[in-house]
Amino acid sequence: MIQLESLTKTYGRVRAVDGVTLTMARGEVFGLLGPNGAGKTTLIKMMTTLSRPDSGSCMVGGLDVRSHAAALKRLIGVMPQENNLDRELTARENLLIYGMLHHLDDLALRVEGALSTVGLLDRSDSVVSQFSGGMQRRLLLGRALMTQPAVVFLDEPSIGLDPQIRRQMWDLIRKARMDGRTVVITTHYIEEAEVLCDRVGVMARGTLIALDTPSALRTRVGEYVVEFVDKEGRLTQQMCRSRADAQDAAEKIEDRVTIRRSNLEDVFIKLTGERLEQ
Amino acid sequence: MKTLEWYPVYLREMLLFKRKLFKLGYLFSAMVVPVIYLVAFGLGLGRSVQTGGGTYLDFLIPGLVAMSSMNNSYSWVASALNLNRLYFKTFQIFVQAPISPFAIMIGEVLAGMTKGLFASVLIMLVGFAVSVHFRITAIFVTTLLLNCFLFACLGIVTGMLTRSHEDTSTYSNFFILPMAFFSGTFFPVDRVPLFIKWIIYIMPLTHTNILIRSARIDGQTAASLAVLLVYAAGFFAYGSHLIRRYSE
Repeated sequence: MIQLESLTKTYGRVRAVDGVTLTMARGEVFGLLGPNGAGKTTLIKMMTTLSRPDSGSCMVGGLDVRSHAAALKRLIGVMPQENNLDRELTARENLLIYGMLHHLDDLALRVEGALSTVGLLDRSDSVVSQFSGGMQRRLLLGRALMTQPAVVFLDEPSIGLDPQIRRQMWDLIRKARMDGRTVVITTHYIEEAEVLCDRVGVMARGTLIALDTPSALRTRVGEYVVEFVDKEGRLTQQMCRSRADAQDAAEKIEDRVTIRRSNLEDVFIKLTGERLEQ
Repeated sequence: MKTLEWYPVYLREMLLFKRKLFKLGYLFSAMVVPVIYLVAFGLGLGRSVQTGGGTYLDFLIPGLVAMSSMNNSYSWVASALNLNRLYFKTFQIFVQAPISPFAIMIGEVLAGMTKGLFASVLIMLVGFAVSVHFRITAIFVTTLLLNCFLFACLGIVTGMLTRSHEDTSTYSNFFILPMAFFSGTFFPVDRVPLFIKWIIYIMPLTHTNILIRSARIDGQTAASLAVLLVYAAGFFAYGSHLIRRYSE
């Protein structure tokens, strides 16, 4: 569904995306994982025609972002990281304008459907500036799904949401996948990537440093982690292939030791030496 | 471009405009500057001045309508576009929608024209109240529409080029404010020294003021009309180009 080949974008002297090559399959939930500034949002902006690539190729649904942008825009729905709703308009007005921009038929029904999907039907005529952050994120998701796009791009969909609302958001994303949509999510929430994504691309400093299923990535770096605080007070981790290996390693350490299963953050630390900011 | 592809762009601006319209601040800000000029120059200083056979008020009011249409068509578009692009990010939904850049341009320009015309109508109502000779002719209406179009297009250019909201004010201080004062709004431009006159004749508002006060089309007014059309076409083409080339 999506093919990126040596995709590069530079802002001044900063190479925000540096030669990224990857493919995303139809119906897949693909996660882009990385810290702030890793290039995830820039990559999304290029795939959604908002940012022009400097070099490389970017195809969505078989359409090139440069030469077939208009047709490509009919395939996609975008939930941006930064809230780009019109705060002075009502939820209904926001969706109405969006639907008209996307030439939707049965617009009133579609707007009602989108509001109902994200649980905002009872607030449809309230001005968006009166909404909580969580409600605004839900409205953004409803708007992205309203056109029934083949590919949905969700840039940090649950950023700033409390756990309960985050789980509601995840249910909506799962539903989109069940409806056959390809979903591309950027996140720096480990749990989100592990729970939702079929495959994860790990990004750091504009490059793709690993790409696989969450479980394969964990297996690659070690499925168990021995964690302890060293003599200087630093949290230290040792990756192990099996629980037996982890227990052997733990026995050699005198301090208080924890053994746990690895997660994508461990993968990220192992690959980059950096920690993801939560 | 599909029929009425520009309409949602225009509708969005009008919905926002409707919200602002019923706030006292909007009406006040649209009217306060021209009304101050009208009172200070027209009813105060101008009582003892005769211009071209009529009163100074007869001369001033069409100029204030031109100035007001310029200010409002330009400022609302430049400011809104700049904010929508850089701060609120709402411009993204146009760029990511399957509509042409030309449709975005048309929608934004028509919205700017509507705001400019609205402010102009307010000044015209004041004009009818204070001047018995104030008349609206076909040339007046055509010039007013052209002026709103031209400055809405310039607003697009500024809104697309500026890199911060403060830059919008800077552009306004450099180009719009001098035009308001030196383009024949307050005094006939044929009385200024020759070396300044050619600068004044470069400014589009000068030609708007010539046209909007004309009773008929003659050689000079036809030349002014041609200048305005060239400016309008140039700003429209450049604004459309900037929207087409937009990339974050």
